[in-house]
Amino acid sequence: MVGLNKNILRTILIASYIMIITLIVALVSTLFSYLNTGADRSQMLHTEIKKVEQYLPKVVWAELNNEGRPMDAENLKAIEDDYLDAWYVKHVAYKTNNTEGVKDYFTDNARKNIFDFIELNSTKGITVESTTLEHHPTLEFFSEDGQLAVLTDNNVVEYKRVFKDEKLILKATELSTYKVILLLEDGFWRIRHLVKEKSDDLVSESRSGYYDSLNIKGINYYPQETPWDMFGDQFSIDTIVNDFKIIKDAGLNSIRIFVQYDDFGKANVPQEKVEKLEQTLNIAEEHNLKVVVTLFDFYGDYSVLNWTLDQRHAETIVSHLKDHNALLAWDIKNEPNLDFDSRGKELVVSWLDNMIDLIRSVDQDHPVTIGWSNTQSAAILKDKVDFVSFHYYEDLDQLDASIKNLKKEIPNKPLVMGEFGLSSYKGIWKPFGSSEDDQANYHRKAQEIIAANKLHFMSWTLYDFNKIPKEVVGRLPWRKNTQKQFGFIDKNGAKKASFKYITNH
Amino acid sequence: MINKYTYILLLTSVLLSSFTSGQNQNSTSDFELLTTKTQFEAGSHIVLKFTDSDAEKPLLYCSNSFGSTVVVPSMENNKLHYKIPASIASKKGMVNWKLLNNEASISGQLKIVSKQEVATMETYIGPPSIEAGGTDYTMLVVIPTDSLDNPLAENTLVNAKHQFLSNQKNEDIFTKNLIAFKNIYSQLESGRMLVSSESLNTNSKEFTINVTAAIPTDFTISAKRPHDYADGNQITTFTTSIIKDKLENVVSDGTFVNFFITNKKGNILRTSGTTISGVATARMIHPDYEEDWSVKAYVDGMAESNVLSLTYKQVIDDFEVRFSQNNRDVTVGPLQSFMNQMIPDGLQVKLTISKDNLQLETYSKTSYNGYVQFILKSDIFINDSYKISIKTAGLEKTFENTKLW
Repeated sequence: MVGLNKNILRTILIASYIMIITLIVALVSTLFSYLNTGADRSQMLHTEIKKVEQYLPKVVWAELNNEGRPMDAENLKAIEDDYLDAWYVKHVAYKTNNTEGVKDYFTDNARKNIFDFIELNSTKGITVESTTLEHHPTLEFFSEDGQLAVLTDNNVVEYKRVFKDEKLILKATELSTYKVILLLEDGFWRIRHLVKEKSDDLVSESRSGYYDSLNIKGINYYPQETPWDMFGDQFSIDTIVNDFKIIKDAGLNSIRIFVQYDDFGKANVPQEKVEKLEQTLNIAEEHNLKVVVTLFDFYGDYSVLNWTLDQRHAETIVSHLKDHNALLAWDIKNEPNLDFDSRGKELVVSWLDNMIDLIRSVDQDHPVTIGWSNTQSAAILKDKVDFVSFHYYEDLDQLDASIKNLKKEIPNKPLVMGEFGLSSYKGIWKPFGSSEDDQANYHRKAQEIIAANKLHFMSWTLYDFNKIPKEVVGRLPWRKNTQKQFGFIDKNGAKKASFKYITNH
Repeated sequence: MINKYTYILLLTSVLLSSFTSGQNQNSTSDFELLTTKTQFEAGSHIVLKFTDSDAEKPLLYCSNSFGSTVVVPSMENNKLHYKIPASIASKKGMVNWKLLNNEASISGQLKIVSKQEVATMETYIGPPSIEAGGTDYTMLVVIPTDSLDNPLAENTLVNAKHQFLSNQKNEDIFTKNLIAFKNIYSQLESGRMLVSSESLNTNSKEFTINVTAAIPTDFTISAKRPHDYADGNQITTFTTSIIKDKLENVVSDGTFVNFFITNKKGNILRTSGTTISGVATARMIHPDYEEDWSVKAYVDGMAESNVLSLTYKQVIDDFEVRFSQNNRDVTVGPLQSFMNQMIPDGLQVKLTISKDNLQLETYSKTSYNGYVQFILKSDIFINDSYKISIKTAGLEKTFENTKLW
């Protein structure tokens, strides 16, 4: 007994000894690694190059024909980068009335002018949110020693929002021409002189073209397994071929698909994503379906300083697909009016307005629309879009009246009901929901109204889904479960009663 | 009489309308611009005056090259006065303004021109040194600016001046794209060129451009040595001729010249020097045994010299080796030079000790007062017979079976 006790005691002693040693070693090593952090030799001098793309306005250089030394690609790139950065720090400075970063991109004498403005504006409570969307620089002169360059920046598209005491008092788009002298100082091309030679208000064109040929009998499409993630790792051509066949066989002629902003790489759209999108359009073409591509899904920033990034995103996608036979139209953004409360209606509308201009500048042939979430918002920017889209999830009894109102308000443009539908979910989370029969009834009735009003339509949606990402309707189970069962085809692939009314014949 | 007045009235109205044509007036606005002038000199006191129809006092947005701001009006004589802030009024360029009333707003533009005076001749010149010969040039860039740091108007006359040796030149250039520039070519000679410029009676300071000789042409070398003995002590000095470019300009001081010395075995020694007044010198210590050197100098990648041959005579014909202290004390010497004088300290002597063709150790010492002493310790070399060989000044002596005890 005594021997056993001794052994137990011994074991405890040894174990606790080991534990204490382990603890001490762990503590010392943590301390050691803590003391070592931040002292990495390779980082001591901050020589690593960090390039974050934060400002990408469209820059089109005129053909090089400058006086002085012939220009080379490296120097021109360096000048362009620093010149654009100068604009960027200027925008930031006027937005925040803070001089941070200005001295890197303006020489001693030039920066004084900016500091004067900041002082003046901050005492008066004025802030200016601005960006430039286009630059058309011409290199006029490059000095023999490579230290001085003169450019004329033609037709700079400047967008400004002027605030006084945080109240928006002006928004303006100006088209200006500048003469700029840049000096190479401390490795930066800095602005030495900046002279505005010309400046006019840029009036954006409204659009009156009528698309007679429009004939949309369509459906919003996501693959059943990957809703809101159509172009991810699970992208499957077979699935899409199969689904498009179902859609075509059902008598529909078009689909509406979505391009997620983050998924498509923001300002730098990866080639593989565009290729997947193109493959999808190829399959649609094979099945004789037309495609409405909705851009900027899950996007919600709109801030003026990032417009250039958004525009490069759109530009890449639009320029890649603009000649595709299956392309029907560009839907700029899905339900942007839902962002009015959080981002400000006026900012969102300006963003859309400018985005339409950008997309039109790349693709003149395809119509442009905006997928408003209700009929009340549908008239916004009606003069800019080629056809008006709205979504309808309200009471069908009001639909006819709403359409008549809209037609009165927008007599000269086609109306497209871009989304409508009813969930057949009825369960714990929504005991008084609709049944599949209710859904069938809904679509029958909807098709009657559509036929009566000669409306273009795209219903929501082909399939019931198994999972809904939280970004779509949030985490609440009654919303998620409802969202799952808007389809014409259920989880097991069987056609629901509503499938009969997927279109009108 | 009446006709005359009518004419004057007509003329005035024509004049006035031409002044106001720069503005996009909007007839539906309640406000009317009273200021007719649209062009101002930088730094002027600019006030835009408007008639005021009611109590409303809208803000005025204005924007110039560098930034935008908003002006709050003041009322004077029942008119709205908008004082354009100095940060806008003092900078050259277009200023666009817009009245921020709620109705169709009225907008317009002002043109601010630089003062026709030069406060600073902002001058950039480069490259700071160029090559003689008339093909290379430096570029003078001048930005004449007024006292408010505005570049002057296009086509402002700038007088570019430069002096070189007996030559002094004035040339008229004109500003274009805010700058005026001129290429200044070198002449055939090297030297210093002085550059300055002048505009509207303001002169820049003086700038200096170095016109250096063009690339050197081939040259010759010579050697100077106190004697031609291989004593391992004296120094041979190599000197180049005056190195010049093709136009007889002496290359700039500090031109680097490399001397390569190839000896009998084909090994290469290298020494170098930089030019002063076109002449570079370099030194090399004499070999300590008979040697033939061939020397050639290069200005790397540009010019080379002739090949110079030098012969060094052997100074030590023979030397003595004495063994003492059980053969463990080996004294080499006296080592005598060409006049039988003791060789200067520092001649290298090598002793190699081996056993059964296996080299055990090599000791290297330098001479002192003509002698070198090696002590072979008994701790290291046990009592036995060894082969000892001694090398110095290219000579070698071997002692087979030397017994140490």
